[in-house]
Amino acid sequence: MNQSHGFTRHGEELFVAQFSDSEKEVLINLSQQIIELLAERVDHHDQDPLAAMVGITVHDSPPEDEVLLRLLPNAYADGVDAAEFRRYTESVLRTKKQAHAMSIRTMLMSSEDGSIELNHELANAWLGGINDIRLALGVRLNVEKNSHEELELLAPDDPMRGVYGVYSWLGWLQGNLLEALMDGLES
Amino acid sequence: MVKIKSKIEEEINAIFSTDRPWVTIVWDDPVNLMDYVTYVFMELFGYSRERATELMMKVHNEGKAVVSEGTREEMEHDVARLHEFGLWATLQRGDQPL
Repeated sequence: MNQSHGFTRHGEELFVAQFSDSEKEVLINLSQQIIELLAERVDHHDQDPLAAMVGITVHDSPPEDEVLLRLLPNAYADGVDAAEFRRYTESVLRTKKQAHAMSIRTMLMSSEDGSIELNHELANAWLGGINDIRLALGVRLNVEKNSHEELELLAPDDPMRGVYGVYSWLGWLQGNLLEALMDGLES
Repeated sequence: MVKIKSKIEEEINAIFSTDRPWVTIVWDDPVNLMDYVTYVFMELFGYSRERATELMMKVHNEGKAVVSEGTREEMEHDVARLHEFGLWATLQRGDQPL
């Protein structure tokens, strides 16, 4: 999987990577899945067009789906406060997360040779987008309970082995983008 | 007399004050990379690398850490930005047990 060398810094504010066709495909597909998953929480504003205009969501209870709950967590331990906060902020959070995933997807789709150049702002969008994919895969892999040692030992025919391979690769990719970004920061 | 009056005013203000300090807490998460958590603290809060690393280590070792303090409105803003970057964050009154 590690065909690319990951991100390297070019000059002051440019972060460059070269992706193979299969890496491109994996990133495009997973970004698309995040966009679609978040779209499942779409608001139905049949009864209140005014609420839709000001971005108030109809959702005030947390998502039942475990992955969505990790992407859109409660802000308060208290249920009433959490519901109120969610009602006024969840649709904005969903839009921002979709924008991060969209930035990965559209940049890769329009790059014929798989080369990607990010400025600081785009690098942050990619970091957030890659992290959302890792959070989603992490829930599916149950990394909360399974140690990395256990996940390394999955049987070759276990479908989760492939998922773990992608999860690890994304961690590596995120790590070298972070390294490139931190190189330029004063300690 | 003036002294007593200002003392009472202070007490009353404290009781009705809406900006009693609130805190933002970040909780440990097995997915988020240590470098990523440090970087997000530096980007969102403008913390030095040293301070951000210290806070990240506290989250990692103790399971949670207070990462910012302020009014309720400010903490809601901080939590929303942390959620945008996938960190597991909540807010609460500063005088409540963590």
